[in-house]
Amino acid sequence: MSSSTMTIHLKIWRQKNSHSKGRFETYTLDQVDEHMSFLEMLDVLNEQLIMEDGDPVEFDYDCREGICGSCNLVINGKAHGPKHLTAVCQLHMRNYNDGDTVVIEPARAAAFPVIKDLVVDRTAFDRIIEAGGYVSVKTGSAPEANLIPVNQKKANQAFDFATCIGCGACVAACPNSSASLFTGAKIAHLNKLPQGQPERNERVLAMVDQMQKEGFGDCSNFAECEAVCPVGISISAIAEMRRDYMKALFDD
Amino acid sequence: MKLDSKVPSGPLEEKWSKHLNEIKLLSPNNKRKHSVIVVGTGLAGASAAASLAELGYHVKVFCIQDSGRRAHSIAAQGGINAAKNYPNDGDSIWRLFYDTIKGGDYRSREANVYRLAEVANEIIDQAVAQGVPFAREYSGLLDNRSFGGAQVSRTFYARGQTGQQLLLGAYQAMMKMVHTGKIDYHPRKEMLDLVVIDGQARGIITRDLVSGAMEKWAADAVVLCTGGYGNVFYLSTNAKNSNVTAAWRCHKRGAAFANPCYVQIHPTCIPVSGDYQSKLTLMSESLRNDGRVWVPKDPKDERKADKIPEEDRYYYLEERYPSFGNLVPRDVASRNAKIVTDEGMGVGATGKAVYLDFRDAILRDGEDGIRAKYGNLFDMYENITGENPYKVPMRIFPAVHYTMGGLWVDYDLMSNVPGLFVAGEANFSDHGANRLGASALMQGLADGYFVLPYTLGNFIADSDLSRPDTDHEAFEEALSASKAQIDKLLAIKGNKTVVEFHRDLGNILWDKVGISRSREGLQQAINDIQVLRKEFWQNVRVPGEAGYYNKYLEFACRVADFFELAELMAEDALQREESCGCHLREEFQSEEGEAIRNDEKYSYVAAWEYKGLNGKLEEKLHKEDLEFEFVEPTQRSYK
Amino acid sequence: MPSFIEAAQSQVGRKILTGITGFLLLFFIIFHLAGNLAIFGDEHDMNRYSAFLHDMGGLLWLARIGLIVAFGLHAWIGISIWLKKRKARSQAYNVYSSKGGASKQGLSSRSMALTGIILLIFLVFHINTFALGDTETVIVDGREMEDLRSLVIETFMNPLYAFGYTFVMILLGAHLGHGIWSAFTSLTMKSKQLSAAIYSVGVVLAFLIAIGFLFIPLYIYFTGGCGELLGGCT
Repeated sequence: MSSSTMTIHLKIWRQKNSHSKGRFETYTLDQVDEHMSFLEMLDVLNEQLIMEDGDPVEFDYDCREGICGSCNLVINGKAHGPKHLTAVCQLHMRNYNDGDTVVIEPARAAAFPVIKDLVVDRTAFDRIIEAGGYVSVKTGSAPEANLIPVNQKKANQAFDFATCIGCGACVAACPNSSASLFTGAKIAHLNKLPQGQPERNERVLAMVDQMQKEGFGDCSNFAECEAVCPVGISISAIAEMRRDYMKALFDD
Repeated sequence: MKLDSKVPSGPLEEKWSKHLNEIKLLSPNNKRKHSVIVVGTGLAGASAAASLAELGYHVKVFCIQDSGRRAHSIAAQGGINAAKNYPNDGDSIWRLFYDTIKGGDYRSREANVYRLAEVANEIIDQAVAQGVPFAREYSGLLDNRSFGGAQVSRTFYARGQTGQQLLLGAYQAMMKMVHTGKIDYHPRKEMLDLVVIDGQARGIITRDLVSGAMEKWAADAVVLCTGGYGNVFYLSTNAKNSNVTAAWRCHKRGAAFANPCYVQIHPTCIPVSGDYQSKLTLMSESLRNDGRVWVPKDPKDERKADKIPEEDRYYYLEERYPSFGNLVPRDVASRNAKIVTDEGMGVGATGKAVYLDFRDAILRDGEDGIRAKYGNLFDMYENITGENPYKVPMRIFPAVHYTMGGLWVDYDLMSNVPGLFVAGEANFSDHGANRLGASALMQGLADGYFVLPYTLGNFIADSDLSRPDTDHEAFEEALSASKAQIDKLLAIKGNKTVVEFHRDLGNILWDKVGISRSREGLQQAINDIQVLRKEFWQNVRVPGEAGYYNKYLEFACRVADFFELAELMAEDALQREESCGCHLREEFQSEEGEAIRNDEKYSYVAAWEYKGLNGKLEEKLHKEDLEFEFVEPTQRSYK
Repeated sequence: MPSFIEAAQSQVGRKILTGITGFLLLFFIIFHLAGNLAIFGDEHDMNRYSAFLHDMGGLLWLARIGLIVAFGLHAWIGISIWLKKRKARSQAYNVYSSKGGASKQGLSSRSMALTGIILLIFLVFHINTFALGDTETVIVDGREMEDLRSLVIETFMNPLYAFGYTFVMILLGAHLGHGIWSAFTSLTMKSKQLSAAIYSVGVVLAFLIAIGFLFIPLYIYFTGGCGELLGGCT
């Protein structure tokens, strides 16, 4: 396998903590291998910065295989970078050309305060789940698994929504910073399954309420969230959420 | 140190129910008065935290990720085993037990493994009730598949995201209890020490990864669910933040570390492409159902794969193992890949890869047929490597994947330090010397949902515990020690980064404590690790300060612990003069390269007691003898 | 359980109200367009239409009130959403671009607030010009009617009105281009396949509506009010 190297100019948002004002710093990396992942390119930058007594760039990551949802950089204005259906940890440098300038910013939303540099606080998502993103079934109280058949198509639809990795790209990319796709996906996942029925009304009302309390914006149906979602969750999740919300209001 | 496994007496099938009938109970009123610390929010941690809180205990949960949902359990792809026997193909709890204990090469405890097989069915019930979207048949009933060479279809799966879906189920159950106030939830806090008072685990020390604040937490029991230590190799399929620190600090506070040398190496990973490589990506083993593994016969063959004619290809698995061929178990496939690449036949720029070729399968089933089966895996491969596996063979290489070793626990999942419980991959208990596919998820959830909630209650009911109190001097002592280590690391200001040290350590382990091990190599490894560890403490360069978010400082603390664990792994591999499961000692194999187990001398759990560190790691070996009352150990053969 | 007032103020409630009012306004606009096109009918068709509306009396007032409420709610919610988004992202991106693909971001969707506000301001002038404008009286079918038709033709002979109206109707088209699909989505239209079809239908409808509206002033202006479609000059 032959590989070519390139020079990449980086413009990275640096911010000490949530209270301080941030600014851009520019760096140039030579010898960027096309087979490197984007995050490995940042690793290499950090190794250099550390040896030069600089302050390494902080960014969130963990599994580096697109499933944990830790990484969430906004690259040249696009959440998770240029490739569709790809989390930034799965993005490789062969998608860039020699001499490119790459601007990296954190996911920006009032509900996602910056912790340091590109690391943001996404605990608002935890609190939305906490409000109702579950089926209340105490350990040990579950019936036999095959007692309730679930239509295969329905199960697949629920699965499509359940694949959300909670990265927050939907919020980052939304012009209004709305968390509707994240919230809608969890509601749609559980409300589509028979197991989710008993709590369906309480769930949607509580989760929508919490989403609003966290300071996320309104959804204006831009569908940018669907475009950046690394697992391709459709905005029909948001339509499902609205429908369930209406149903909940009229269901007594 | 005394190792009492506390396995209940009586017939295998009755041990767990008998134990449940005998353990002490706490009234709801009393449970409310007790608190439990759970460290880690993977399958084991999240399920334990949720279940304990439901019972009424006050639970404090800690994880290093920014959300409990990101624990590394999320990355498990394949599935979860349970002997529901839905396909009516003759499966039973006994068979699941037998396969697991045989798969572990008779190096695990019969009673634990049987209980695992027993409670597995309940896990499926629980997960389905939580809304985990397992695959279903047209009938709407649950689908099963055969996984990892099992003769029955007992694996429940959720596309290639079974770990994710099961973890989200457990995470959501946990968040429900956070909502009720029964759980205090602390993401981005890393456990740095265990506080032991009067021989009992009474709390932990954490570092807040955002503010750097060191904090003390007291409770009646501590449950460690902090995963495996595969990242000691630097490159592994583990998430970047997976580490051994919490378990290792417990070990240094008295908890025995069992079978540290048992490391599972997965044969089908995407190979390393360069020095910058930060982690390895696993591809499902199912690829070996249709792909053929080969290397060029001539190490100097520079031709492209598709230009190499049939007669110049060496299909080494098919030739060496005619009956199993490309479907030999993980360890056999991994070992053979290493052998051929060591002989210079490896392919790719680094020479550390073998071909996994779908040419013949595509000729047989058509490209669309293969796409239907493996489309997403092929896409992932192309995304990472930039090569189209429909046109050129995949390149694969083994990678460290799972660690069967871990903190020693008894039947109740309690370590030898009373009050310290260990669950999931962090303990050593169920997989022996080798883990079967789709068993990790099963074990994590079995421990958390269906074992710990009972056994932990038994411990609390049975103990005379004083009120937890962080004012005790032991807390201050532990906190100061952790702080001192951080200060020491920051003060070195040497010339080599943490990553470089970690990579060098990984190379030593991969070469000498990896797929195959030898006496000479292990002795060399111990020496090399000691030298490198010494250099680490003199020359590591950790940037920044302790008072804010500092990822490289986190890594430095973890790598410091990996350096100590690494030596213990080599020690453990050295003392085990046999080959078993994933542990292959070159001196103990047949002429055909088959592992030779020595049941007479090594049918024991090696549990190590920390004795100190003085240039050399001082550890004392304790043996828990494994007795097989119900199954007869046999030698594996895949010829 | 939230009260209906609380629910209406939730993010979901706001969007549903925007969708409902949007649809009402869309129906109104189509109705309005049909009335406008009466100008190309018989010489007095438009005046008959106007008189027919006035004859409705109470019903007309009911429709007027309904429309005022719909307009008011639609505008108020739209503007409040637009204002809230600044609060939801206090620090803007330095570089931002759409990822394409499924995204419906574009001139139309990004400028909903702007086009909406311009349409609202336009509405005031529009009502002042035509509904409250001075008209002559003509006798048609044996009864007295306001000669709205002449007022329209006269007004659009003025280039400022003709081109001003045309410009605003282009904005209306842009607003509807995203608006029609968005209203469907807000009102819980769900299937992924249908979504693309509805989007296309919405865009075509928006285009036709805009063309229908702007054709009238342009035709009047360029034919000096004497075009053949208007029956020539009398």
